[in-house]
Amino acid sequence: MEASGIHGFPVGPLIRCGTVELDALEKRIAELRSEIRAAKAAGEHATVRSLRAELRKTERAWDVALEPEPEPAKAPLLPVREQVHQALTLLGVPTATKMIVTVNEAFFAGHIATSQLTSLRRDEEKSFRSSPFARPYYLCAALTSELLSPARGLLAVSTWPMPTRIIGPLSPRADFLTSATRIAEHIMRLTGAGEDASPSAYRLLTRMAQNIPGAVDGFDQADPTQVIAAAGAELAVHEESDASHRDEAARRAERQLNEVRQLFGAGLKTARTA
Amino acid sequence: MTRLDTLRGPAEPLDHNARTIAALAVNPGCDRRALLDAAGVDKQRTATHLGFPAPFGQSPFAITRAKSFDALVKANGCAHLLRLLRSTLDLSISEASYSDISDVGGNDDHQVRHTRTRALLKRAATDGDGAGTLFDHPLLKLTVAGHEVYLEPAVIAFQIEGRFHIVEIKSFAVIDDQADAGQVAAAARQSAVYVHALRALFTAEGLDPGRISHNVVLVCPKDFANHPTATLLDVRQQLAALERQLSRLTRIDRILDELPIGITFDLETQSPDEVGKAVATVGARFAPECLASCEMSLFCRAEARDRESTDVLGRAARDELGGIESIPAVLGLADDSRPPSPEQLEIAEQLRYVRRIYTEAVA
Amino acid sequence: MSIMSSYARALAVQNGRAQPVATVRHLHLSATPMVFIPLKLAGEAAAPLAALVGTDPANPRLLVVPQPRNRDLRFAFMAELAEVLLPYIEGLAGVTETVEAKTPYERCADAPQLLVPNRGGIAFTKLLGRSTRFRRTDGPYPVHPSVPVLGQWLTFLSERAEYAGSSALVSMTDALALHWATGQSSMEDANLATQLAWIAPPEGLDGPEAALVAEDPLTSPPAGPETHPDFDGQVLEYAIQAFETSGSAAQVREALRSQLEPTWTLMWQGVRLLRELPEAATVEARWARDRDQFTRETARLAEGGFPRGRVDGAVSAAIRLADLESALQAYEAQRAFDDPLVMIEHRVAGKAFSGEVVAVDATRRIVPAGKTRAAPRPLVTIRTSDPVRLSPGRRLVSSRNRKQRTEIVDITGDLVVIQVNDQMGRGATPAPGSVPEVGDVVCYAELDPSGGQRPRLPAGEDTPWTHGGPPEPYVPTDEDAQEAWS
Ligand code: SF4
Repeated sequence: MEASGIHGFPVGPLIRCGTVELDALEKRIAELRSEIRAAKAAGEHATVRSLRAELRKTERAWDVALEPEPEPAKAPLLPVREQVHQALTLLGVPTATKMIVTVNEAFFAGHIATSQLTSLRRDEEKSFRSSPFARPYYLCAALTSELLSPARGLLAVSTWPMPTRIIGPLSPRADFLTSATRIAEHIMRLTGAGEDASPSAYRLLTRMAQNIPGAVDGFDQADPTQVIAAAGAELAVHEESDASHRDEAARRAERQLNEVRQLFGAGLKTARTA
Repeated sequence: MTRLDTLRGPAEPLDHNARTIAALAVNPGCDRRALLDAAGVDKQRTATHLGFPAPFGQSPFAITRAKSFDALVKANGCAHLLRLLRSTLDLSISEASYSDISDVGGNDDHQVRHTRTRALLKRAATDGDGAGTLFDHPLLKLTVAGHEVYLEPAVIAFQIEGRFHIVEIKSFAVIDDQADAGQVAAAARQSAVYVHALRALFTAEGLDPGRISHNVVLVCPKDFANHPTATLLDVRQQLAALERQLSRLTRIDRILDELPIGITFDLETQSPDEVGKAVATVGARFAPECLASCEMSLFCRAEARDRESTDVLGRAARDELGGIESIPAVLGLADDSRPPSPEQLEIAEQLRYVRRIYTEAVA
Repeated sequence: MSIMSSYARALAVQNGRAQPVATVRHLHLSATPMVFIPLKLAGEAAAPLAALVGTDPANPRLLVVPQPRNRDLRFAFMAELAEVLLPYIEGLAGVTETVEAKTPYERCADAPQLLVPNRGGIAFTKLLGRSTRFRRTDGPYPVHPSVPVLGQWLTFLSERAEYAGSSALVSMTDALALHWATGQSSMEDANLATQLAWIAPPEGLDGPEAALVAEDPLTSPPAGPETHPDFDGQVLEYAIQAFETSGSAAQVREALRSQLEPTWTLMWQGVRLLRELPEAATVEARWARDRDQFTRETARLAEGGFPRGRVDGAVSAAIRLADLESALQAYEAQRAFDDPLVMIEHRVAGKAFSGEVVAVDATRRIVPAGKTRAAPRPLVTIRTSDPVRLSPGRRLVSSRNRKQRTEIVDITGDLVVIQVNDQMGRGATPAPGSVPEVGDVVCYAELDPSGGQRPRLPAGEDTPWTHGGPPEPYVPTDEDAQEAWS
């Protein structure tokens, strides 16, 4: 058939061969695009389909050629944003980047460099501003209860209820207790399902438990049920006062702030000024 | 423009921090340092301009280590710190609130932060229960030589049952319950500056300054690991030394009165020679300890050497030599080539005797 | 510090060169001292960075930790250090001599001597010992078998360094300061380069000029254990990064070699200067104590002795303090009697005096207190121009015979009368030569070369409950062995 020349294009050997090959691929992509246009104009639907397939293949080859070294198969292929979302969903509270990285490593065998997270919030804000609510979720800020400004260094998820994203004076402690509980629960879910959590997951839990009264004995490895009980006991002490703070601030935020600010905070450090 | 501004020239006055203020107390007798600091002169740049850059600095490794330890102690809602305060000071479980004043709604202007610091601390002091436990990066002010300066907010203010403490996080290790004495002493001097500043704030707000404890909570890594441990450090003595020194600094006016009119240390317009001469018009009291604490030290040492001052031998040696100021005078009294003044009679006799038996023994 | 040494400092300024404050060498200097220059990473408690070590000036061994934050690399460094130090230490343990005593015993003929640049080096040696002696070769963080052994030896040596007069682990700047007064302050004397510049300035320079040159961190990098902050920021940081990316330690090694080699040269210059001084009379006896202790420690370790615990019990701490105090007293006294320049300090302070014997009453006999029969108690009158600040009844020791007990009977003007109490033989009159004669120049001092009386302390098992009761002997724990070292 007449399109055989196209199909005969030697894509495979070009993979990861440097800029000369990249140039060739780009040229080929441009050619394919104009051929598709031409075929479309001529109403040759079958040719269009096969050209499209060819174009996709070439584009993939271009993507691959761009990648210098393929990651070993172990790393999950989730983008950073999704890895962060996954860790935050496990924790359920606004969290500092360092903890997000640790949780992601301990439970999802993921790997994020802290430096990859520095501009994350700002990028998300830009994306939200350009087309609000186009994505199912945004990684956003937690807001300080008094001034509703973005809390330093914390990341949250836009789909969380407003009070969860508020940080009052007791919230850092309450959220720490909540995240310890969530981590313990997740370990139990894993063991319940017949899997086991990684040693680093247990180390993380133990380290956290050491700072919760009664959550662990001496230098032993922490026991998830004991952590849940101890964290729950302390949480009960703070919960009411923390929640009332958060609810009040959340109502204020919803009343006073526009959509962007509800997610990314009032104050100076928004995308425009930062 | 005040005279101090003229002295400094158009450069921005340098911020003080606890270290620089604590260093004032190390050499209280030195007019030169008092004046340069009061004028907010950048001593580091001045010393470099004069060709005597300061002989000390901080290793990037030490800085990184200090930062990461500080972050560790405060991570997860100050989880480590709360554990330590609960065990060392019996802080009750319900006291866990934390407010960060490193900015106010993204605004990190000094004035704004200071106002907020005052508001939060005042509320905590008057409202009692539940009005705040930990206040991170409080921006405090201090009057140094009649000038108000802001203090770098490197500490946490902490309230327990109406009493306030300073929490100082330091990255030097406490090994088997022992830490480097020099570093502990330096930490105590710096904490004393914060205790003092916090008391000043309370006084200004009409609150009882006695509610600020002289026991500082010092948080350090334990042994060789990164695990934080806390100790209470009594800084009463450092506080007394500091207060005495600060009150003496009010004599800046007296120092200024003695200076020639129109003198300036402005690095932009003055040659190194001119700045050197200007600096030299202000009296110094060099001691080898300056080498570890004052940016001007190599300049002052060279000056002391030129004057053949006994200061270069160290304070102890100078005292042993009866406080006599110059080395030629010491040696002159010892070999009888210089007649002693009435108050030198005793030391002169001793020196003659020392010289005689020393010469015998060395021969 | 005394008026004498301060005067010597003033003199040093005038002469542009350090002045002697000793006429003899007051420390033992081994024929093959082990020079050890350790460096640590700034900001860390005990993270070794590098060391230059060896007994041959021409052949130092360079050890580095290319990434000091990596604990495996740190322990590898300690194992390498053990490769150098353990054969040296254990080799010396092999040769013994028999000591004639009431019960004759075996003692090592020689003992290890470690020379470090300054007190910081001693403190760091102690920390290295502390951070390795509890380690185990099995369990969660296993180390090479040599590491805990090295830890025990480093602990032993740094313990010895606390005893005045021990030469087992010596800080070079302290050793030099014992013999020379420079024209700078004692604080600045802790800088080996400037101190040596004052003592032995290179051709064409005087002391202060040489010291200024030696202050330049580029030509004379700090002698450790801390490195220069500028070096850290401008060189070391990049070298460590290069190791991280390339896996090659070459850059780190070269960088650290450049920081260590100048100090290596200075250390051996110090050794040479000290060797030129004749050894003081009591050095050998003090070194024998070092050898005694070394022999004991060798035996203790051979029997599988546990590492020393983290903290001392109440009684052992008290015993140790008393021992340290007595060692210090003995050392001060011995040095003074060994060296007229050192004695000056005590003469100036009025605790000692020197002069000529002007009268002797050799036949005097009295009935001493508590005795029934008369015994010889000769009186010796000495004329001195020293400012004596002693009173009748004070017990003195003489430089002629350090064992003879004497006491002051009278001081009038420049005449001091002393009574000799023992060491005169068994006869009715003093044995010939046991009492000074008219015309002798003598020196008496209120100093006790035997170290004075030790307070009596209860044995460990009798520790009163107020002091925690009898101590539990230290038994190594898992916790100690697995202690994090991050
Ligand atoms: S170095 Fe000079 S200016 Fe600084 S305190 Fe010492 S004498 Fe004063």
